[in-house]
Amino acid sequence: MEYLRPQNLKNALHLMKQWKKKATLIAGGTNVIPDLRARAVRPEVLIDISHLKSLAYIKEDKRKIHIGALTTVSELASSKIIEKWAPLLSHAANQLGNPLVRNRATIAGNLADGSPAADTAVPLLALEAIVVIQGGKEKQVPIHQFFVGPNQTVLKRDEMIKEVIIPKFNPNAKTAYFKLGLRNSMAVSVVSIAVLMEMEKTFCKKARIGYGAVAPKPIRAYRVEEMLENKELTERLLRACCETIGKEISPISDIRASKEYRTEMASVLLKRVMKRVTQ
Amino acid sequence: MSELKIIGKPIPRHDAWEKAFGLTCYAADFTLPGMLYGKVLRSNHPSARILSVNTSRAERLKGVKAVLTAKDVPRNESVTRFGQTHAVGGGFEGLYRVLADRKVHFMGEAVALVAAETEEIAKRALELIQVEYEPLPGVFDPIEAMKPDAPLVQEGRSNIITHYEVVKGDVEKGFSEADVVVENTYRVPFVDHAYLEPESGMAWIDEDGVITIRVSTQVIEHFRGIADVLNLPHNRVRVIGTYVGGGFGGKEDITVEAFLALLTYKTGRPVKLTYTREESILSHSKRHPYVMIYKTGAKKDGRLTALQAKLVSDAGAYVYLSPWVLLYSMVNAAGPYRIPHVKVDGYTVLTNNTFTSANRGFGAPQVCFAYESQMDELARRTGLEPEKIRMMNYLEKGEALATGQVLERHVALKETTEKVIEALEERTSPSGQMRIGRGIASGMTSYGRMVFLHDTSRSHVSIEMDGSVTIRAGIQDIGGGQASSLCQITAEILGVPIEDIKIYIADTALTPFAGTTTATRQLYMSGNATLMAAREVRKILVHKAAGMLGIDPESLDLVDREVIDKEGTGKGLPLKEVVRACASDGLPLYHVALFKAPFRNVAQFERIEGQVFPDFTFGTHGAEVAVDEETGRIQVLKLISSFDVGRAINRLSVEGQIEGGAIYGMGYSLTEEVILNQGITMTPSFSEYLLPTSMDVPDVETILIESGDGVGPFGAKGVGEPSVCSVAPAISNAVYDAIGVRIYDLPLTPEKIVRALQSKVKAEGYL
Amino acid sequence: MKVSKTYPLKLNVNGEWKKTEVTPRETLLHVLRERLGHTELKEGCGKGDCGACAVLLNGKPVNACLTLALQADGKNVVTLKGIGTPDKPHPLQESFVKKGAIQCGFCSAGMIISAKGLLDENPKPSREEIRKAISGNLCRCTGYKKIVEAIEEAGQNIKKSVGRSQ
Ligand SMILES: Cc1cc2nc3c(=O)[nH]c(=O)nc-3n(C[C@H](O)[C@H](O)[C@H](O)COP(=O)(O)OP(=O)(O)OC[C@H]3O[C@@H](n4cnc5c(N)ncnc54)[C@H](O)[C@@H]3O)c2cc1C
Ligand code: FES
Ligand code: FES
Repeated sequence: MEYLRPQNLKNALHLMKQWKKKATLIAGGTNVIPDLRARAVRPEVLIDISHLKSLAYIKEDKRKIHIGALTTVSELASSKIIEKWAPLLSHAANQLGNPLVRNRATIAGNLADGSPAADTAVPLLALEAIVVIQGGKEKQVPIHQFFVGPNQTVLKRDEMIKEVIIPKFNPNAKTAYFKLGLRNSMAVSVVSIAVLMEMEKTFCKKARIGYGAVAPKPIRAYRVEEMLENKELTERLLRACCETIGKEISPISDIRASKEYRTEMASVLLKRVMKRVTQ
Repeated sequence: MSELKIIGKPIPRHDAWEKAFGLTCYAADFTLPGMLYGKVLRSNHPSARILSVNTSRAERLKGVKAVLTAKDVPRNESVTRFGQTHAVGGGFEGLYRVLADRKVHFMGEAVALVAAETEEIAKRALELIQVEYEPLPGVFDPIEAMKPDAPLVQEGRSNIITHYEVVKGDVEKGFSEADVVVENTYRVPFVDHAYLEPESGMAWIDEDGVITIRVSTQVIEHFRGIADVLNLPHNRVRVIGTYVGGGFGGKEDITVEAFLALLTYKTGRPVKLTYTREESILSHSKRHPYVMIYKTGAKKDGRLTALQAKLVSDAGAYVYLSPWVLLYSMVNAAGPYRIPHVKVDGYTVLTNNTFTSANRGFGAPQVCFAYESQMDELARRTGLEPEKIRMMNYLEKGEALATGQVLERHVALKETTEKVIEALEERTSPSGQMRIGRGIASGMTSYGRMVFLHDTSRSHVSIEMDGSVTIRAGIQDIGGGQASSLCQITAEILGVPIEDIKIYIADTALTPFAGTTTATRQLYMSGNATLMAAREVRKILVHKAAGMLGIDPESLDLVDREVIDKEGTGKGLPLKEVVRACASDGLPLYHVALFKAPFRNVAQFERIEGQVFPDFTFGTHGAEVAVDEETGRIQVLKLISSFDVGRAINRLSVEGQIEGGAIYGMGYSLTEEVILNQGITMTPSFSEYLLPTSMDVPDVETILIESGDGVGPFGAKGVGEPSVCSVAPAISNAVYDAIGVRIYDLPLTPEKIVRALQSKVKAEGYL
Repeated sequence: MKVSKTYPLKLNVNGEWKKTEVTPRETLLHVLRERLGHTELKEGCGKGDCGACAVLLNGKPVNACLTLALQADGKNVVTLKGIGTPDKPHPLQESFVKKGAIQCGFCSAGMIISAKGLLDENPKPSREEIRKAISGNLCRCTGYKKIVEAIEEAGQNIKKSVGRSQ
């Protein structure tokens, strides 16, 4: 196996183009290294981008937050900008894996790995983030189009995530995030949910709901969003939403939980976040 | 002896300093020049015939020094006594097979061994060994395995390894006298010990040709079994035990030793073998899962009248310590209660699952979950407070267990129960979907080995010319402060600061045999042996000093490296002067003591009667939990442990054992389970096998009772294993208190809670 | 067998620059333990689940098993042995011993590193903050209580000694 350490993004892209399927890109390595150890990936070349510090940043401009691909989950968890403009992401980052892992894990790695339970993806879905992909030329992909299936994304072999853009939301919007796992640290999500709601008293003007671990990929709950938007939030409506969500998701059974439990919890967590945002 | 100076104090352990500085050389930290790396090829079928094993490609790989299969093992099959010296018979010895021969019996069974110049090459060599398997039908459920037409796990023997019974009175009569009877079936899962240090060791041949194995083990006395594997005289194999990175019973059986011995024997080179975490989970013993059918009867006023239980434990594919564990369960099955009529039937059964053996508590926690859940149901049914019904029925000193063993020493359960209730304090107020509940459970766990094993321990204490003291004891230190406690005892007796003591442990060639570090026996056995040895040395010193000072020996004491007159005359001598004087007189400045546990013999195994254990430790756990009614998630808010420890030799160590044990039990209650699906491990690593993290645990509160009535040194009792025993029922009882449903099988996963709540709602809906 | 290429590696371990050659696959844990003799860090799982291998990498606690050695090239690594020695113990080492936070000791190297990472940023953490900071470090022996107490006490002692030297 060879090891390459490109000096900048351009260089990295060039190498990716050159090696294509034979190469594996490595950032924090928290997914890639266990995969190498288990021989689940057997690349001929490792392209290491972990030292490209120019890709580790959290910046804000008037309307958007820009998060560099190599920003670590710890940096997300402790950033004041994120806390203010993407509190959902702040919560999710604080609960991802464990503190040691968070110091290595990067946002782009979490997204590119494409796990159905990817914890940063869920708030980013609710926040309608945009993934900036650099290949031959730069593309901006809304995050809800980024994931394709279990561990599959739209990324091509010669493309990289360069940054993630989060539009600043209406400061009056309400947000909430819940992660349900089997323990309080080092827990893979059994179900996770993130919501962003723009409300006028009890009237819902906008609803964005992201879910993790209930489908082959992190998803938006479009049908429920639609049920909520431009409606008066009544008990009855909320109950109907909690029923609909069961039909909108397609969880699997694994050692952590059965699909039935996941389905029920998707509804329980929906109820909880709704309660949180309507309070 | 006057007031104790060192015993009972929270003294930092000498080994803790070395560990804090990273100086301790654990098994995997040791290297030798020219060493090879060992690896084990394991079966990927739970039940299959081995049609062929082709090692030629692996052998040809550059850097490979040995590839061994069953045919290369001088004695591949032996009957093992598991490190014990006394032959008991009665199915108590089990088959030990080093490498699978014609068949594999569980997934992960060792099939071949490799030694190579690097770990990478060794791994690669494993991939080159071709094993042709023919899958055979397997049996994965002990109840199924008991049926006459079940496939046989081991050729030529019944799947039922043992059947034991305990009979007292007439249960039918007992139940007819009962006003309330509760009957339930409980299930507990496979559990991993999950010590943080995976199995590891290193072997070499010393300049005299002795096979020397430095290994992380709880039992150095496996050297005999290892010598048998190689067909060598016992004195040609030496085992050196390292400080162990956690054992909990999982390093009680042979792990890497025989593999290492074979590889070093065949290659003549030092060999190191360390399991990966996955390999550890796949291949080492597990805690026994049990199916337990319990029927308990009581009078309206709460007095117990009868208990009947049927226990079936899953032994996995090899016998190992299953009969022993079952025997513990049998003796414990009725709990620490006065019950006129008892009948317990127990079976341990072979299946094609991972084999099961010792795990902290050794059969006691399993039955405690059942009998203490039963007690709680009886409390509900009789309308008594859970503590009331227990208090009324606790055995007291002088009374007998259902087996007839008389409890000759203090039974502190009333005190421990009261303390726990008191410490639970105000109930936390519920919020949102969180329901609060609290529960208690009491238990008993033996310390010291079964008396028919004729257990012994030896210790050698000597004093050097400068007054420093050396202890030599073949104990294994598995993190519980075993070595350090012996230093404390010796320091107390010889009146020297603990820094003056050096202890050598765990070397079959150099330290006197002290037996296994299992069964919560080391403090009891080696503590007593060391106490005896130190007292002998003290006697010699005091007598000499008495002569030198012209004072009655009775009035002399050893304090702070001096011999002093207790009467306060100011007369005295520095200890080292006395030592020198002894030396010139040719007096022995050492003593080797042999401590024997009570020896009994078993009349017969089928029906268990009379004394089985030297003594028991009694205690109570209390838990307060918050249960999320919607998600089923349980958070333990309070966990209180109260134990009669006899006497706390080292308060820090005792609290450490009790706190750690409580959380070990909490993991058993809530998240830990090795899931096997048709013999295949579904929880191969620590991301699936879930230990409690620092964010899951409450601060365990420890309340010590010191009755001084234990059989250990200074009246101490053992706590290492008892500290786990009653945690699961305390938590489960608390869950019942919170949400009104009882879960009969561990662990109490969120999903089980949610399901149970749903059926309760359904049932109530129909009323 | 295909031989993996090796690459030069320069690491500052506990204040000293070390040079060696490594293959890309080798983790920082492997190189520190097997090539540089730093057996004070432990391997409990090899994949980020236990924290026994924790080191400070440029001041931040990370799993050495989840970092390729080459990813640490040119960086500062601090292990347990870099924190304090018998002659000059760190308050964390003292409090871990005195509070009984060490039993088998297999988790201790990682625990103390995580605690050091925390105290460097936050010398007076709350119990909750301590619990969170060590939540990537499993301990099977202690039940964590004495570890949390030890870290709390070390924080207080560090503050005191800093106060004195000012
Ligand atoms: C113990 C442990 C616990 C964990 N717990 C959680 C958890 O609770 N929740 C969770 O969501 N995840 C968890 N993870 C998974 C992992 O930590 C995260 O997915 C992490 O964010 C991955 O980031 P990384 O930088 O380490 O990725 P890497 O391992 O470096 O890469 C992951 C994938 O992304 C690709 N990649 C990396 N950077 C880019 C880029 N810029 N552009 C394109 N592709 C890229 C890589 O090629 C690879 O395919 C855990 C992992 C461990 C080891
Ligand atoms: S060995 Fe690195 S986290 Fe377990
Ligand atoms: S002290 Fe043994 S794992 Fe922590």
